[in-house]
Amino acid sequence: MKRLLRDVQQLWQDKLAFRLAAVYLVLLVVLVLVLPWLPLPFAPNYLDLNHLFQPPFSDVTGAVNIHWFGTDALGRDVMTETLYGARTGLFISIPVVITSTFIGLVLGASAGFFGDNRLKISKAALLLLPLLLFLLFYLGLYLPLQIQQYRLPSTGIWLSWGILVLCTAVLWLLLRLAPQKAFWFRSEIKFPLDMLIIRAIEVVSSVPWLILVLLLASFMPPSVVLLSLILTLTNWTHTARLARAEMLRIREMPYIEAGRTLGFTDVQLVFRQALPNMLGPVMVVVGFSLAGLLTLESTLSFLGIGLPPTVVSWGRTITGIRSNTSAWWLVAFPGGFLALTVLALQTFSYYMRFLLKKG
Amino acid sequence: MLHYLLKRLFLAVPMLWLLATLVFLLSRLLPGSYASESILQEGNGYYAKGSTTDRTLAYQQYLIRTGQNLPLFYFSITSSASLPDSIFQIIPEGAQNTIQQLAWRTGNWKEVYTFWRKLQELKQQASPTQLQAFAPYLRTITATSDAQQRVQAARAITKYDATLQPAQELYKLALKLQKQQGSLNFMIPSFRWHGTANQYHRWLASLLRGNFGTSYRDNRNVTEVIMEASANTFWIIFTSMLLTTLAALEISIKLVQPKYNQWRKAVMPVLFLIDSIPLFVLALLFLVLFASPAFLQLFPVYGLGYSHGGQSWLEQTSRTLPYLALPILCLSLAHLPYLANQFYNALSEAKAMDYTRTAQAKGLPPEVIIRRHVLRNALLPIITLLSDFLPGLIAGSVVIETIFAIPGTGRLLITSVQARDYPILVAIVLAVALAKVVSHVVADVCYAYADPRIRYKTAS
Repeated sequence: MKRLLRDVQQLWQDKLAFRLAAVYLVLLVVLVLVLPWLPLPFAPNYLDLNHLFQPPFSDVTGAVNIHWFGTDALGRDVMTETLYGARTGLFISIPVVITSTFIGLVLGASAGFFGDNRLKISKAALLLLPLLLFLLFYLGLYLPLQIQQYRLPSTGIWLSWGILVLCTAVLWLLLRLAPQKAFWFRSEIKFPLDMLIIRAIEVVSSVPWLILVLLLASFMPPSVVLLSLILTLTNWTHTARLARAEMLRIREMPYIEAGRTLGFTDVQLVFRQALPNMLGPVMVVVGFSLAGLLTLESTLSFLGIGLPPTVVSWGRTITGIRSNTSAWWLVAFPGGFLALTVLALQTFSYYMRFLLKKG
Repeated sequence: MLHYLLKRLFLAVPMLWLLATLVFLLSRLLPGSYASESILQEGNGYYAKGSTTDRTLAYQQYLIRTGQNLPLFYFSITSSASLPDSIFQIIPEGAQNTIQQLAWRTGNWKEVYTFWRKLQELKQQASPTQLQAFAPYLRTITATSDAQQRVQAARAITKYDATLQPAQELYKLALKLQKQQGSLNFMIPSFRWHGTANQYHRWLASLLRGNFGTSYRDNRNVTEVIMEASANTFWIIFTSMLLTTLAALEISIKLVQPKYNQWRKAVMPVLFLIDSIPLFVLALLFLVLFASPAFLQLFPVYGLGYSHGGQSWLEQTSRTLPYLALPILCLSLAHLPYLANQFYNALSEAKAMDYTRTAQAKGLPPEVIIRRHVLRNALLPIITLLSDFLPGLIAGSVVIETIFAIPGTGRLLITSVQARDYPILVAIVLAVALAKVVSHVVADVCYAYADPRIRYKTAS
């Protein structure tokens, strides 16, 4: 960790491009955070119907505020839209990157560590697993959702969650007690974790990302939360693949063997010993996948799919060009901002990877 | 070799099946379908002039004809209070929610369903003047969630005309339902087995026979629609793949030679810069710069022009070429940086090998060394890159076709997403997944062709 910090410092001093990218990214995050308190002349989604498709920098006499970057088909100020578009993009992609990286890390690392035959599970547990999954689905998810939809008294939700906890407790007790009676239940079999996770990765990545997200978004009503969920569920595969490959390498290292001899449990070995050692490569992937998410989010809103039309975003502003191809400012400003952000993220990740390769 | 390839294709079948199943089941999650939007809504298209009853009838007939009234899967696990799918689906969508709500509140779907049937009977038997008088009560009955109010409304109807048979029964049922209000029956799960008479089974069976179903929008055969659209997409993808590969190869072959060192320092950052511009922004920039009256209008903008029919193949190509030039250029340029960079890496790795030094010692000129010795040895990673490159191009064609309004598969995908035309969506996704599998198999063949060692190993 210390060495990584020292290397980053070295990079900062040597490479101008790295310094620029880092400064840009920090400024962007600060800007996005303080944006609602900035004294912008126009509010987002404010329709200035007197100035439609106004070119940038044109000083219209009589106007109190000037549209520096021009306006779109409904008179919305392009500068405000561009700045708030950055906010929407980052507010969607950063949580998605964090959750999907976490999912990918856990799944990939456990797939690599346990492989197909290291994880053992008793037959009793294997038999009870479907039942538990069913209860989780039915009592934990299905009933509460339906109760909400049909506006039944909300005591029903608490009741079903209470029953769920009770059932889980009973199942757990059964699992502890039953094997002592019957030997067959106690015998352990191998759980093919690696195979299952690889199959899942295969199915998710069998279709190009954009097409998969388009498809899933068409099944659901447009909403920011649902789109984030879709992006999370389709974005974890890169991290999972990387974590699995890294774990396969780390698994054979002497310090894991040493940890095993010292009596560390598997969970301790994976999360306390192995995971910190693969943070570097994962950081590189995070940078690239953040850039990919920003691009995808604006592509989707450009196509008018996934996000509700009331949400400000780069893609929505850029769509305006389709009704008036001479309004170049609708593409130039949001598109340029997007490209610059992607460039900064890629530069940052590129140098980080460079650093890791060297180290 | 053939044996191996068949095995490879065969192994992809479970993955494709899983993907198809997931997509099919997920696509039925969202309530509301294309049909309900086009048939049930007032003032909408062909069915607009009919009365509400006629439209409901048309909707039900449509559902039964297309098999959408059937349950979704072989079995279903629902709450025992919930109406079974086969009944639930044929209830008009506007009433579904209230009826289901009543069923959940009372925990007795059978009586709720009879209640609803009686309500319909009452509406049919009552004379127009009676209906007018009943209207506020009927509204209360269907809209309210308060059992007391429902009973009172039902009683008001019976008082108005005691001879009306359904009204009496309606009142009795309302009283019965009031007593069951607040039951906890809905907590009990009910497992229903539907056998093979379900949507999934029918869909899968017809899929295995090569029938993807019909489009919701125009009732045309899905295979036919996709085949028609895919010709344009194929040419766009094929040409830009060829262009990008050749350009990337030329660039990397040049840059890997020491005498182009100066060039490399200039070209690499430019490629890096292009790589960071998203495809749709790049395409729109091209559109604004080269096909809009504000700047240069070199190319026609939208579509593929008009076909006059009876033209020869050559004439047709020369007609569509100006329309396709800009899209193909965009798609190629957007993917060029990544490919050129990777090719460059592959070539420089192969260049560090001993045989390069031998070739140099023989006195071959650098250009020949690269083309004849280094390139051949770098072919394996290049083939891998190309096979991974196809899905990216397919995704890119979605964006490009939408922007340039080219009637291809990508635009079909977008319009189908907007109209929720699921049969077409599912078929396109399966075709794309299959294209990926096939591209990997083709890559395997190419490996064997490029490297004799692989050929001999698999042959023996």
